Amino acid sequence: MVKRLDCLKLLASWMDENMFSVSSLSNNAREWPSVCRQGHHFHNLNMGMCLSFALGLSLAFPKRKVMALESDGSLLVDTSSLVTLADVNPSNLIALVFDNQEYGKMGPTATSRRADLERIAHGAGVQDTATIRTMEEFNSLVKGAIDSSGLKFFVIKVERGRAPVGDYLRTDGRAMKELFLQKLISHPDYWGNEKVVTVNPK
Amino acid sequence: MMDNETVQIFIEALKEEGIKMVVTLPEDPSYSLTAAIRVDPYFTDITVAGEGHGIALCAGASLGGRKCVFMTGIAGLLMGGFALAQMSSLYAIPLLITASYRGDIGDRSGIPSGTLAMFNKLAEPFLQGLRIPYRIVDQKSRLKGMIRDAHFSCRQYSSPIVLLLTGEVLWSNG
Repeated sequence: MVKRLDCLKLLASWMDENMFSVSSLSNNAREWPSVCRQGHHFHNLNMGMCLSFALGLSLAFPKRKVMALESDGSLLVDTSSLVTLADVNPSNLIALVFDNQEYGKMGPTATSRRADLERIAHGAGVQDTATIRTMEEFNSLVKGAIDSSGLKFFVIKVERGRAPVGDYLRTDGRAMKELFLQKLISHPDYWGNEKVVTVNPK
Repeated sequence: MMDNETVQIFIEALKEEGIKMVVTLPEDPSYSLTAAIRVDPYFTDITVAGEGHGIALCAGASLGGRKCVFMTGIAGLLMGGFALAQMSSLYAIPLLITASYRGDIGDRSGIPSGTLAMFNKLAEPFLQGLRIPYRIVDQKSRLKGMIRDAHFSCRQYSSPIVLLLTGEVLWSNG
């Protein structure tokens, strides 16, 4: 197993201003903003939403890398989203599922027993999947995914517990979204930059 | 089921609005529409396996500026309730949703009566409870204008807007 924060620090070193990330709640939402200064980030999506929100974003920006920073508990809420992910099969999305096998201090998730999210994803039709257990594997597979094209799905087996990185960002919810949106709008490939018609055409 | 005339009006309205991305989990009353969209090269159609993640997918695309619509029914709205609450109240993300108003007065589609009654009792209070603006569209003559207005206003409000389709819009015999 690896430490989530070590992985995130390494991932942060690979991010640039052309990349986007979407993170699930809890540890991902606390640790990722503490280390990542590059790229644009939508934080703290609630249970079951992160992967699909990132999928939608990847369709809006097909020439940019979108990273979905998921977690085992969140993805287990809606594993049918993996079927949709496989169907759409975006070439610019990398899903990183940080699997600590627990719901925080509330107890173990099913991945601590028999459930295997990589096999579930593969069974749903996602072709390029792997389970990462060492930093060497993370370095090789995730950096390789960033440098290449195609949908990638990685389950990263991480140690339990919280890293000492402070609390959540104070900028959450709508304020966070507005900051994210302002950055999206600044990109020339943002789809929504057409003029809004304010005169009722009827 | 939606008749061919309504399907054509619907598709024209989407094209006039530049809405190229259609996300749906197919359901019976609007199947003729989603089937027509599926074979029209203008559209990128995505069939999702669950309404909750379908709404999240649309929200991500919409925030990225993609003009999209989520097509569902009352059951789909109920299933997607948590996602709707977040995209509406928490993040304020514009999202156009059309929903077959199953259970509306006069629905003779043949689904079990208890289910009809449940949809009828819950649909509008559910949307009201989530503070999501909605309109009932039951006339073909108003369909195109309603789609245009809802698409405009959801972006102005930064909110999902739901068009509940019923009457002659949804059922070929009105």
